[in-house]
Amino acid sequence: MLDAADILRLESLQVHFPIQGGLFDRVLGRPAGAVRAVDRIDLNVGRGEIVALVGESGSGKTTVGRLITKLAQPTGGKLLFEGRDMTFVQDLSALRPYRHRVQMIFQDAYQALNPRHTVFDIVAEPLRSLRLVDNRTQLTDRVSEALASAGLNPPDDFFSRFPHELSGGQRQRVVIAGALAVKPELIVADEPVSMLDVSIRAQILQVLVDLRDKHNVALLFITHDLPLAWLIADRIAVLYLGKLVEIGSADEITFNPRHPYTVALRNATPQIGANAGRAELPALQGEVPSAARVPNGCRFHPRCPLAFDRCRQEEPPPIEVGPQHMSACWLAK
Amino acid sequence: MSKSTIRYSGRTRARAIKTFLGQFLGYGGAQLGLLCLVFFLVTAAMPNILVGPLQTAINATGDFLAPPSGQHLLGTDEVGRDVLNLVVHGARISLTIALLATVISLVVGTTVGMTAGYFGRWVDVWLMRLTDFFFVMPSFVLALVITPVVLEVMGRGREILGFRPSLFVILVVIGMTSWAFVARVVRSQTLSLKERTFVDRARVAGSSNFSIMVRHILPNLVPQIAANGALVVAGAIYVETSLSFLGLGDPLQPSWGTLLSLAQRAGAASAGAWWYLGAPGVCVLTVSLSFVLIGNALDDTFNPRRRVIP
Repeated sequence: MLDAADILRLESLQVHFPIQGGLFDRVLGRPAGAVRAVDRIDLNVGRGEIVALVGESGSGKTTVGRLITKLAQPTGGKLLFEGRDMTFVQDLSALRPYRHRVQMIFQDAYQALNPRHTVFDIVAEPLRSLRLVDNRTQLTDRVSEALASAGLNPPDDFFSRFPHELSGGQRQRVVIAGALAVKPELIVADEPVSMLDVSIRAQILQVLVDLRDKHNVALLFITHDLPLAWLIADRIAVLYLGKLVEIGSADEITFNPRHPYTVALRNATPQIGANAGRAELPALQGEVPSAARVPNGCRFHPRCPLAFDRCRQEEPPPIEVGPQHMSACWLAK
Repeated sequence: MSKSTIRYSGRTRARAIKTFLGQFLGYGGAQLGLLCLVFFLVTAAMPNILVGPLQTAINATGDFLAPPSGQHLLGTDEVGRDVLNLVVHGARISLTIALLATVISLVVGTTVGMTAGYFGRWVDVWLMRLTDFFFVMPSFVLALVITPVVLEVMGRGREILGFRPSLFVILVVIGMTSWAFVARVVRSQTLSLKERTFVDRARVAGSSNFSIMVRHILPNLVPQIAANGALVVAGAIYVETSLSFLGLGDPLQPSWGTLLSLAQRAGAASAGAWWYLGAPGVCVLTVSLSFVLIGNALDDTFNPRRRVIP
């Protein structure tokens, strides 16, 4: 689905937080480093496409989501939305048209809803802030519509409820309704189902898939769960320590992974029933290193069972290993 | 459909207020506090009807330092004035000063604290240095310095907003020296609130900083502001009492503090005139306690997580 009509394009987008050295370091002239939270990411999302961003905790996937929703500022690279450069736009009046078209679904619905606002006010907030409605009747209609598409029926019953009166699944639906209310073209969903019971997950995922099918909304689905990504996404991008290590169609990444990290992620997934494809590589050892001390060469080499000398010295570029399938590994060819 | 929804929201508000009152009055402390406070507010509202005009040394009716009797329910002072008359008139001055000073303190403290906490960086640094300055400023010294200046500028006989200049100074001084405490509490709470996900959500929804502060942060600060407001009122009554006790009050508009000061100078304690010291003292204590009880009950009521979910 990689075509010219990309709605969102990230070009070597990066976030480096400078580390303020202590007085002692400065006197001794030690160089101050930087936390490379997101390191030169290239990613594009087409209209109506679902792209999953997969990675462990600390891989920077949430930061990428926050960059796209303009909750965090990049320090370099480009963020293009329909060809317009939105990288360093911070002014609210310039940002409002963007907010109208890019919305976010948050991971923790308990935290994402103001405990003192009713469901109506929560869902109505973007409509009011972005001045998308002229009167109360329109507002009520749009809120009803959003609640109904998020699966809260009948919508009127929920208007005057407070978040603490709702179940976990209902709260997540309210968060989704808040994002839907403005009829966005791109939604960044940051682990929208990870806090939910398994029984409710499927329903919430269905709401998201319906969005794409009915309204052609593009979705950037951030998750740590590779099978979930395969289930919902058209394409999967695998993030490790702030860098994309592999990107390709969902089937390619899941069944024909070419980066040892993706393989390890897949093998780490518990599976039901006998599976011959397991244990190609031993399970991953250790933690993701600190983004303040990114290893030289390939950043995965300290944990990679296949690492050799070249991996420790040279950083592999993205290598095309199949149709629209890139892998940043020296062994991928 | 639209008509029914508009009516629906109106009904919701009425229901919310009813629920709030029901929960608030469910606390025994709130009932007691409100009862005491209403009693004192009624007293302060119509002193002339209750006990007649303020007695002075000229129109005093009783003996000197007479103990409570049928004619003088709370006894008399050293020039024969009825203590009940003085205390009732003092209630108006004490409560007005305390409440107005608290309003100044809460408005300034909340604005400064929320702005500093929300914007952070240099705004925070400078506003907090300003707060520190007012934090360490002693109210007594400030009152001592400002009073002569105001008297000089305004003239001794004039009234400012219905207050004689020295009382107006006390009012402003209490407001100026107590907001720093509120600002610190509000700032610390804002620092934690602004990191909450619902603030991020509001930002993604396109809300302005002002709207986020007013609609998301301020409502979540209400328990802190209410609880601290009660403390500030109690503190303001106390400071007003001490300032008046030290002689900064106005003898023509006597507050409870002025009465305590007069009683002390008349040697009420050593003369065994417990009614003279006790009456204003108990009033100060009761009103302060009422505000604390109401503040605690408000805190419990406003916190939705402590509400009983039906």
